[in-house]
Parts: sequence; structure tokens; C-alpha cells
Amino acid sequence: MSEVRINDVEQFDIVKCYQQFLKDDPDVSMSIAAIESLAELIKHSNATTLSEFMESLKDASQKLKSSVKNSISLSAGADLFMRFVTRTSHDVTNFEACKEHLMNSGKVLVQKAAAVREKIAELGVQFIKDDAVILIHSYSRVVMLLLQRAAAYKKRFKVYVTESRPSYLGIRATKLLREAGIPATVIYDSVVGYIIDKVDAVFVGAEGVVENGGLINAIGTYQLAIVAKAANKPFYAVIESYKFVRLFPLNQYDLPTHTSDLLAFPDLENRESIKEENMDSINPTVDYTPPDYITLLCTDLGVLTPSGVSDELIKLYL
Amino acid sequence: MESETFKPNPDSTTPMRASYEQQWLLDDGTPKHLDPLANRPRRLSDVGKETITNNTLPITKNKRFNSGTNHATTSNNTIPAKKSNKEMTKAERRELQERQRAAKGKTAKTANNVVTPSKKPVQGSMTNLEGGAGGTTSETSVTPSAHSESGVTVKNIDLKPKDILHKRDNNKQVALFSHLEIPKGANTSTAPKEIHPSVLVLGLHFSEFKICGANARCIATLTALQKVIQDYKTPEGTTLSRHLPTHLSPQISYLVNARPMSVGMGNAIRHLKWEISTIDIEMSDEEAKHLLCEKIDNFIRDRITVADRVIVEYGLQKIQDGDVILTYARSSIVQALLLDAHAKGKKFNVIIVDSRPRLEGKKLLKRLMDEGIKCTYTFLHALGFALKDVSKVFLGAHAFMSNGALYSRVGTAMVAMMAKEKNIPVIVCCETYKFTDKVQLDSFVMNEQGNPDELVNISTTMTLKPGYLDEWLNKPDLKLLNLLYDLTPSKYITLVITEVGMIPCTSVPVVSLQEFF
Repeated sequence: MSEVRINDVEQFDIVKCYQQFLKDDPDVSMSIAAIESLAELIKHSNATTLSEFMESLKDASQKLKSSVKNSISLSAGADLFMRFVTRTSHDVTNFEACKEHLMNSGKVLVQKAAAVREKIAELGVQFIKDDAVILIHSYSRVVMLLLQRAAAYKKRFKVYVTESRPSYLGIRATKLLREAGIPATVIYDSVVGYIIDKVDAVFVGAEGVVENGGLINAIGTYQLAIVAKAANKPFYAVIESYKFVRLFPLNQYDLPTHTSDLLAFPDLENRESIKEENMDSINPTVDYTPPDYITLLCTDLGVLTPSGVSDELIKLYL
Repeated sequence: MESETFKPNPDSTTPMRASYEQQWLLDDGTPKHLDPLANRPRRLSDVGKETITNNTLPITKNKRFNSGTNHATTSNNTIPAKKSNKEMTKAERRELQERQRAAKGKTAKTANNVVTPSKKPVQGSMTNLEGGAGGTTSETSVTPSAHSESGVTVKNIDLKPKDILHKRDNNKQVALFSHLEIPKGANTSTAPKEIHPSVLVLGLHFSEFKICGANARCIATLTALQKVIQDYKTPEGTTLSRHLPTHLSPQISYLVNARPMSVGMGNAIRHLKWEISTIDIEMSDEEAKHLLCEKIDNFIRDRITVADRVIVEYGLQKIQDGDVILTYARSSIVQALLLDAHAKGKKFNVIIVDSRPRLEGKKLLKRLMDEGIKCTYTFLHALGFALKDVSKVFLGAHAFMSNGALYSRVGTAMVAMMAKEKNIPVIVCCETYKFTDKVQLDSFVMNEQGNPDELVNISTTMTLKPGYLDEWLNKPDLKLLNLLYDLTPSKYITLVITEVGMIPCTSVPVVSLQEFF
């Protein structure tokens, strides 16, 4: 991370900064990296008026959002910071002091975010019973922390981890769990229905929580939730509250990540053999799980029902 | 398992729940304390509400008190029990009589009670009052025999065609809905003379369904009351904030007699009364009247007109090219949304589902066809077929209950349930002024009955054409039921679009609490 002070805000590349933050700390989530890079932008900003300053922040957050294919988690963080800025920058007479203040607050926010996962893990441990069989999907830092915490409390449980194509992050999760002394097995994504009867609870993380309490998460979460509901197994989502997004998808096709070329049918003329790369480009990477399938959300604000999320958000916006 | 999990962790010293706001948005970077209220992002509907907020904010601590007085004035208005019969104006007596007639069972013999003027008169004295327009009613106490006698005689004289109609309705009411009164309609000839002409006209419009739809009715009511206020003069020895409510309440009850009040109207009137109660007694009549009219204008603008525009903006986000949108009957806000989406160049088809006897969808159909939107028009019984290709259902609302249930034109529940069954998102557009803190579980407890004669007409054009039901009044075994509303449980509604944003319907109580308290 270059600490060289660049006076011209145009020369400060917010996207590069964001990527650098992600690289530097593998544990940082996209939302927090977005907040950090926006706070960094303030440092480099040479705007002279508040409105100019706000404009440059807005531009930057827009630039960040459009720089990645899946911007849900990122925009949750960016929007949170923007909201924070609009709230705090009101009655400030000294503009320089205001900038200074916002920069510090950005740092405070980032520090807070780090502590949040600990709190969630502490809250979530009670959901894991002794001798339980847990099913998790893909790799989520906060779910990992929760399971490790449960193991540290000497709870005995086993974990099935879905392979979660196409990212194969399930394999990484399994390795980590085994290192923590938790018996873990990787299963194919298509095996979920087969093993669901052996499972006591399902835990997932999320990229974002939408306004009605639904989840946006790695592809496969929705079908996992449907299977869990059909088998009457509790489905818990474990989320940091900075991932709440002001978005209300009606279904999968209403997601901002949905494009018309996703899942398109090929021309019959085009008789190419089926290649994995081609499949990747037409398959979605995230899906939306409606709130009806979620038992509870374990967040740092407490354990919420899905409708509790929207209540929190409304209280905030009204 | 779950019940256990809800126990707060006894070991943790941090509170179990903190709000999102505390967690992220409280400014702990500086020691300076910021008033969260002052900095909270203002809603669009708040724009221009400057005067109101300025007025209301300083007295937030009095709000409970204020709502209390509001309540008191309302109940005062409905039960003018503090006056003796003699002191009552003719209008008040008639109003009382109307109310009691509505409540009348077959218990005319309860007239045995001694009637004191300070108490709410009982059955017998009411019949007495009925004929006693000349003022020959009992003053202090009436002996039971004399009382019932006079009651009977008067009643015989007073048997108007209206009463016969009312009796007919009692016999012809469907038992399950006998608690719902069939509105007797506005009768301008018997209206008390203090009723303002604009209210008289409005009452007729209401009872004839010339003005219908929650928004139209609310705006019309407020505009009429505005005229009443403009023509109002505070009598000697009293103040506007005390006397004006008592002047308004007969006007309102006249409107309610014409047709039961909608939830939105109720909220608007409650708001108006609250505004009246906050008026400074030192203020001159002219000034106060001017202020009130401005407040009414603001209410219409902020809570209805601008709210509608914001809802349309939100709604546009949910209409994509290639959508097939189904809507039921006609809602002004859904109509505005569809027209706007078309004007913005979105390509979509509309299926309008309609039902007898009102055929409100035809009006919507005409508007959409005029703009060149592709439409399909069908009746409710064909809903199953119509839903096949539908991608979204848009509905309007009459009211939203606190339990997230939607109270809307009869047939809406069916549309919502069928759509949910087929996994089609059900989207309701509703302004927050229609939210109520009441809870309703079914369509029976509170509903409105329309004129059963509407069912007799089988014509689909403007001209009346009686069908087989024509002679229904003479058929003792035949009863007709013309319900106007039904209730859609919250689980069938995917999304509610309000001017405060897109919310799930479970969040309705959160919004309505924030709105009114």
C-alpha cells in the first residue's frame, strides 16, 4: 500500500486501493475493504467545498461498484460509509476538521467491524448442540470463526461442507476445520438432498442481507435452504450487520447481478464441445434466498428473525 | 431447540441486541454529541413540510397528551351525552337518533329505564325523539308507561319509507354479515342545516359511488372540510381550537352516514383534529383558518400526491422489459405506475382482472388502451388461466393492518393467493397514510356492504338491465350479499411499495408507529 500522498484526487485509483486492501489482509471482507478505501480517498481528496467532496465520494463509490462483477457485498459497505458521511458532515463549519474527523471515523468503523465477528461467534455458539451434525455451504469467515469457537468450547460436532462449485471454496473450509480439530467432510453440491436427514442444522454466511431479511450468497444457498425447509431442519444465517443492503429482490431475476446473457441457450449451429470455461461464463455465481426459508439470522445486533432485519433498516431510514 | 436459543447469554456483558444505528452510524469518532433526530435523513415527503415539523417537533413530549385529547374530542363528538335533550340542536338530536336507530335491536322494552338528560338516552326516549322534532321530549325523567306509549304513537306516525327499507334490509341481511350496516345513503332533505353545502354534495357523491377509491375520497373529504373551515366563524365566548372540532364532527358523521369512512380518511381527519388542537388560542380566526387550510394542503401534497410520485419511482424499478403484469380492478396508484412505466419506454403487457358488480377495471383498461399499452381484460373466474404467463402482480390498497394484512377491494385476496401459489411476486402499492394500528384477522369483523341491488343489474354497460334476481325482495328465501372489501393475509404479499421505501408487509407496524407517534 503506497503511502505517498497524491494531491490530485483524479490520480488516486480507488479500485487499485480497494484491491490492495483485499490482498493485504485475506480476512477482510469486501464491505470493509470498500469502507477503508473510501476513507483513504478522503485523505487524498483536495476538494474545497463540501458538495464537491460529496460528489467525489459518490463518484468513487460508483466506480468501485462498477469495477467488480458482483458488487453486492461491496456496495453494502460503500453505502454504509456514504450514509455515515451524510449524517456526520452536516453541521461542520471547518471543512478540514470535518475531513479529518471522517477519516478517523472510517478507521473506527473498520476496527469495529473486526470485533463484530467475535461477537457473532459468541452469540452463535449456542446454536450448536453437542453431538450435532452441521451442514455448511462454501466458505464464510464468520461461520468458520463460529465453528472454531464452538470447538474451543469443547462442543463435539461434525461438519459436512459442500464443495460449492465453481469456487470450490468448500475444500478450503474443510481444511481449516480439520486444522481446528473438527471432523469435516466435503460433499458434492448435489449430495445435499441425500444427507439432509442426517443433518441437525444448516449454517451459511452471506454476501448481503436484503431488506426483507433474505440472503444473497454463493450459488447453491437457495437450493440448500429449500432442501432444509422440506426436511424441517433449521437454517441459520450468520452475518455481520454491515452487510445489510437496501435492496428488495423479488426473485432471482430481480438481482442486480442478473444479466440477460446468464443462462442463455446456445445456437444449435454452434456445435462446440461443452467446456468448463464456457459454463462458468453463463452460470450465475450468487443467488437469492427468500426470508421464508430462513429460521434465524445470527448478527452482531443480536439474533434476528428475517422480518427483524427490515424493522432495523426502517428505523434507520425513517 | 429454538426456544432455548432465544435465552440471552447470561455470561455476556454486552447487551443481546443493539440497533444497527448504534452499531454503525453513531458518531463515536468525536466527543461532540449529535442529535440523531436533527441529522436523520429526511424523507422526500418531508420536503416542504417545514412548517409542520417546526410546529410538531418542540411538542413531541406532549404528543401522548395530544393524542389523548384527540381521542377525547372524538368520543365527545360521537356521544354528545353531556347535553340535555333541550340544549341539543335539532341536528344533534337527529344525529343521535340516527345512531341509536342503527344500534337498535328488538329491545324496545328497555324503555323502562328512567331517562335523565345527563345520561345517554335509551331506546324509548329515542323513539320519542324521532317524532319529537318539535321539542316535546322528556326533560328530566319519564315514567315507563308514559314513555313507551308516546314512543309507540310517535313511531306510527313517523314510519317513513326509509324505515321500511331499513326493515327490509334487516330481514334480507345475510346472517354472517348482519353486524355490518347497509348504509342508508346521504339524505340531503333531512340533513341538519349546519351541514355545509360542499359536504352535502360530497355525501351524495360518496353514497352514489361517484367518488370512490381511497385516495380520491380522502382528497375530496379534506377539500370539503377545507371549505367548511373557510366558512367557519368562531362563536362568541369560545375559541377556535375548542369549538371547531364540534362544528366539524356533524359534517364528518354526515359523510360517514353516506358511506363508512375509509382508514385513510380516518387518519387524515385525526391529523386535522390534532392540528386544530395545537392552534394557539391567541391566534386570530383568519390566521388560524388560513393556517389550517395550508396544513390540509400540505397533508394532501405530502402524504398523497408526492407520496404517489415516490411510489411510482420505486415501482418503476420493479418493472422490466418483457414483464407481464397482472392487476385487479382499478387502483389509481397502479394506473399511474403503469402509465409512467409505459411513458418511460418500458415494454410490458398488462392483464386486467375485473369482477362484477362494479367493473372498475374497465376504466383502467380504457386509460391504458388510450396510451397504447397492450392489455388483456378478463374476469376473476378466469384468474387461473390468466396467471399462466404473469411475471408480477401489482395491487392497490384500501388499508394496511398492523399485522401486515392488506384490506382492499373484494377479490384481491383471491388474486394474491393464486399468484403466491404460482410463485409470482405480489406487489402492493400503498401510501403510509393508509396504515392503521388496528389488527384484523378475517374479512368478517370489519367490512363494508354495498347496495345488494347492484347484484341485480346484469348489464355490462351503463344502462340498467335486471336479470333473474330482479324480484329478489319478494322471495323470502333469497338473500343477496354485496361485500366491498376483503382481507389478504400477509403471507401472500411479497412486497409493499410505500413512499418510505420498499418494505416487506411485516414491517407495516414499524412504519405506522413511526408515522403517528
